[in-house]
Amino acid sequence: MKRVLIVISMIILFFIIYFLQANFFTWFTIAGVYPNLFVIMALFVGLFMSKSTGIPLMLFLGICLDFFIGKKVGLSAIMLSAIVIIGGLLAKNFSKDSRITIILMTIAATVIYEIGFYILNIMLLGTAIEIVPFAKILLVEILYNVILTIIFYPLIQKVGYYIEEAFKGTKILTRYF
Amino acid sequence: MYNKKTGIVGIIITIIILILLVFLSNISIEKLSAVENIFSSIIMPVQNGLTYLKNKISGNDEFFSNISTLKQENEQLKNQNAQLEQSLREFEIIKSENDTLKEYLNLTEKYSNYTTKAAYIINKDLGNYSNIFVINIGKDDGIDVNMTVISEKGLVGHVISVTNSTAKVQTIIDTSSSLSATMSTSRDSLICKGTLEDKYCLRATYIPTSANIIQGDKIETSGMGGIYPKGILVGTIKSVINTKNITDRYAIIEPAVDFEKIETVLVITK
Repeated sequence: MKRVLIVISMIILFFIIYFLQANFFTWFTIAGVYPNLFVIMALFVGLFMSKSTGIPLMLFLGICLDFFIGKKVGLSAIMLSAIVIIGGLLAKNFSKDSRITIILMTIAATVIYEIGFYILNIMLLGTAIEIVPFAKILLVEILYNVILTIIFYPLIQKVGYYIEEAFKGTKILTRYF
Repeated sequence: MYNKKTGIVGIIITIIILILLVFLSNISIEKLSAVENIFSSIIMPVQNGLTYLKNKISGNDEFFSNISTLKQENEQLKNQNAQLEQSLREFEIIKSENDTLKEYLNLTEKYSNYTTKAAYIINKDLGNYSNIFVINIGKDDGIDVNMTVISEKGLVGHVISVTNSTAKVQTIIDTSSSLSATMSTSRDSLICKGTLEDKYCLRATYIPTSANIIQGDKIETSGMGGIYPKGILVGTIKSVINTKNITDRYAIIEPAVDFEKIETVLVITK
């Protein structure tokens, strides 16, 4: 029941982010560049939720996003799911207690998502390859995402551990016994 | 003795000369023209030659002394020439604009041949690398995929997907968008694509090497490609970027439509 409520909350969070991204952040851009809150959300899901729930959830939300405003259905879904997988791998190997680690994870997730999305766009939609302008936008986007992560870090950590407990249970660190 | 005689002769000669002078001075000059002619025929050729030389020298002297004045005059003339050239260029631009405006007038009449449906933009793209939006009309209103979307100022894009009540429009400034266009004055064809360099501008490529690209020239759809009808205004040439290889040169086009402020569009249904 708790897990179902969390999943429903995540879907609601997705729509809140969608409307924030579509309306609020169009007024608050850095050099005309928007942040990508969906990447932060996918990373959050990957870090704190189980793979078996996180991947289908982000796949579903990604497809929704593609239907709402995407050029081709599936592109956002693939990339957001990939970020969930990467988030799971990072959670295994790095501490989530450090602000710096979370910031570095956000940078990595943003870079992987945007580069992957851009490559898919080039391959499937014939988008022109413009490396320098792409890199410039990506740098600003990373900066924006990092700023938002720093601001929301206490909330991410608090809610994250609550979700982790619900999905993964409290793990005993056998190494220290 | 000798000295006394010489003195008397001298006095006599002087008196005779004086008498002659008195006599000659009382004769009018006309009566002496014959004598004058004789003198003139002897003196004038020499005098003429000397006058010629004098004039020549004084003329050259004037030339050298007037160099600075001539330079100033030259500068003035050059400025006048530049102004005239500028006026000519402006005149040519005005002429071209006049022709284009006449074409637009025809275009407005041409638009009247199309059946259009007005729509509001209800959602805009969330990403930094693409530019699409959603409009509030769909299949129920007769909207279908690949229909052209315009605004009162020019071309906006085309419909890429449609639901019963909404339609997704890919704008011409989207990085995946590509359209065939022509320059309104020279009629040279080019390909316009969305670019990441400037989110609200287009990049015109495949410009023929012989094409004369004029800044400010209007760009309109060529009608090729099967989506956009011919003659819809796309934008104006903002700048031309020349590369080492002329075939790689490209132009930045400022769209006629302000994509930042656009709120309503027209979908050409027929």
